[in-house]
Amino acid sequence: MNKPRILVVEDETDIRRFLRLALEREDMTVFEAGDALQARIDAASRQPDLIVLDLGLPDDDGKAVIRDVRGWSSAPIIVLSARESEAEKVAALESGADDYLVKPFGVPELVARVRAQLRRASLAGARGQASAIVRFGDIEVNLATHEVARRGEAVHLTPIEFRLLATLVRGQGKVLTHRQLLIDVWGPGHASRSHYVRVYMANLRQKLEEQPARPRHLVTELQVGYRLAGIVESS
Amino acid sequence: MIPYPAHIPSRPFQYRVLVYAVAACAFTTGIAALLLRVFDLSNVVMVFLLTVMLVALRWGRAAGALAAVIAVASFDFFFVPPVWSFHVSDTQYLFTFLLMLVVALITGQLAARLRAEAVGAAAGERRANALATVATDLSVAVQDEDIARICDTRIGPLLDGKVTLLLPGRDERMPSSGHGDTGIAQWVLEEGLPAGRGTETLPANSATYLPLTTPLRTRGVLMLERGAAQPLDAEQLGLLRAFQSLLALAIERVHFVEVAHETQLHVEGERLRNALLSAVSHDMRTPLTAIRGMAGMLGESEVAQAIVNQADRMQRQVTNLLDAARLQSEGVRLDLQWHALDELVGSALAATPLGARQVVVDIPAELPLVELDATLFEHVLVNLFDNATKYTPGDATLYIRAGHTGSKLRLRVEDDGPGFPPGIDIQALFAEFARGTRESAVPGVGLGLSLSRRIVEAHGGSISASRREPHGACFDILLAAGEPPTVDLEDPA
Repeated sequence: MNKPRILVVEDETDIRRFLRLALEREDMTVFEAGDALQARIDAASRQPDLIVLDLGLPDDDGKAVIRDVRGWSSAPIIVLSARESEAEKVAALESGADDYLVKPFGVPELVARVRAQLRRASLAGARGQASAIVRFGDIEVNLATHEVARRGEAVHLTPIEFRLLATLVRGQGKVLTHRQLLIDVWGPGHASRSHYVRVYMANLRQKLEEQPARPRHLVTELQVGYRLAGIVESS
Repeated sequence: MIPYPAHIPSRPFQYRVLVYAVAACAFTTGIAALLLRVFDLSNVVMVFLLTVMLVALRWGRAAGALAAVIAVASFDFFFVPPVWSFHVSDTQYLFTFLLMLVVALITGQLAARLRAEAVGAAAGERRANALATVATDLSVAVQDEDIARICDTRIGPLLDGKVTLLLPGRDERMPSSGHGDTGIAQWVLEEGLPAGRGTETLPANSATYLPLTTPLRTRGVLMLERGAAQPLDAEQLGLLRAFQSLLALAIERVHFVEVAHETQLHVEGERLRNALLSAVSHDMRTPLTAIRGMAGMLGESEVAQAIVNQADRMQRQVTNLLDAARLQSEGVRLDLQWHALDELVGSALAATPLGARQVVVDIPAELPLVELDATLFEHVLVNLFDNATKYTPGDATLYIRAGHTGSKLRLRVEDDGPGFPPGIDIQALFAEFARGTRESAVPGVGLGLSLSRRIVEAHGGSISASRREPHGACFDILLAAGEPPTVDLEDPA
């Protein structure tokens, strides 16, 4: 098995070093870039499997780098955001980033996110088409038959609830912004009605989560969107 | 308009003008006697009419009327046969007398009115000039001292007295070292009514105190000292009233110029502080990220874990400081959206390391959405949960409940820890930089609760703390329920 190749783009040397040490310890190959120019060169020449990208680069906006790379690569991009601004994260995600980490973050958090994104990419790449049956926790979702079961018992979802869940499932752990969910589930006319998502997400949690206020799978990324956590690889 | 004084006193009547009128008639009689040698009697009548008109023009209405009567009488007595007697031989002269009297009276009155209007116009022009001069001077005044000088040098002479401007200090009190009677000045300032000489309040005082009132408030007092001079005439009273308005506006303008200047300084200061704070927070976050990350590399040792915990804590303080700066400098600009409370609670719980503490969440699923700024409100919850972990042992339980209370939504965060120390003022916990126990070993600068209160109040809500029975702390947040936007019913597709 080849070592995963990670490109770390970060202008602060100390943070870059810690990222390299943490990822190398997980048996990954790490390339470092200190600015947007080097990032574009390395993204093309090193063919990384995943990119960790700081949004605040000295020479260019991180979002522009994301858009450029997305033009020819489907490697997952995890954004590092030092800013309070949720709008910044949303913009990065809608530019094509897959996930984000807010500084400061811990090693376990970083490694978990990197692993989840690598797994997601390899799944999508290996089979080309995801399996129709997806499991997370004690929930089983059949995307083909629209059947949802919890601990083996069928759960009734309304059509919109199912579409919302299916969109999250297809995202496979990617953070989906309110806008992306609204367009996918309700259509382009509803892009600004984020309270719709909140109401239906609350319904979904009531039906699928053990403790709806402390969700383990239908995770809220406050002011950004939602993410499905804990997907088990289906066999 | 300012009720000072209640009635305008008319100029006192000058009796000597009547003497002048009589003298003028006597003089005319002499002239007429000379003229009669050459001219006919009917021309002499014209001479008398001319006199009456001139008298009225020069000395006014009463003198004119008197001159008319005397002119007719002397014409009768000296010139109409039989001469030297009021007897009239030819009765047609009676008609002449009557006509002469009527014509004399009418022309006299017309002439008098003409004069009065001319005098009035001249006075109006004088007043307009005086006002224009004062207004021009006031318009370039940029300090209270300039206005005071204009009162002293320009307005005083126009009112035949000494005019002094009395202004209150920042505490709205008249300075006691100033001129005049401080007590009266203070009363005038507070009541907005005139006092002192010539008014209904304390008329025995030697000076008059007039309020300088703008539509907003009374901004100062004008003190007028006129010694033994005559009371103000109608023209001066009009001027005084105009000056009062002009001065009040000028003082208000100077006041707002100062306010604007101070605000500008304040804004500059805020901007600097904001730039500093965001620079500091960015510069702190970078090393914090490195420290936290490196510590994470050291494995699961106690030391490494402690470093991670402290870095997290520091991070939360940086967030609080940033929030505080944002709330203070921008007023409060909230990003209001309709949110589900349980989602915010879940998000805040996920962001707080609670250790092994139990958490019991009881939020009804049918609770309506609330309109709030999710980022700020999450910080409130994180602060409350963080507090609960700081002040409770590791095996404590947290209870989070929500529900309706009338038209409000109530969110209650309780713990079964030791609660607040006895004897402390619980509500004072929300004051700036307060902490339950002085110099305690528990970290935190006490910013969290005061910040939480500011955020909740910015949402139009309230936050309070109480003791929980039998032991523990309880925090209540009340928010207005509002009317959530409707969500279209699902189409049965």
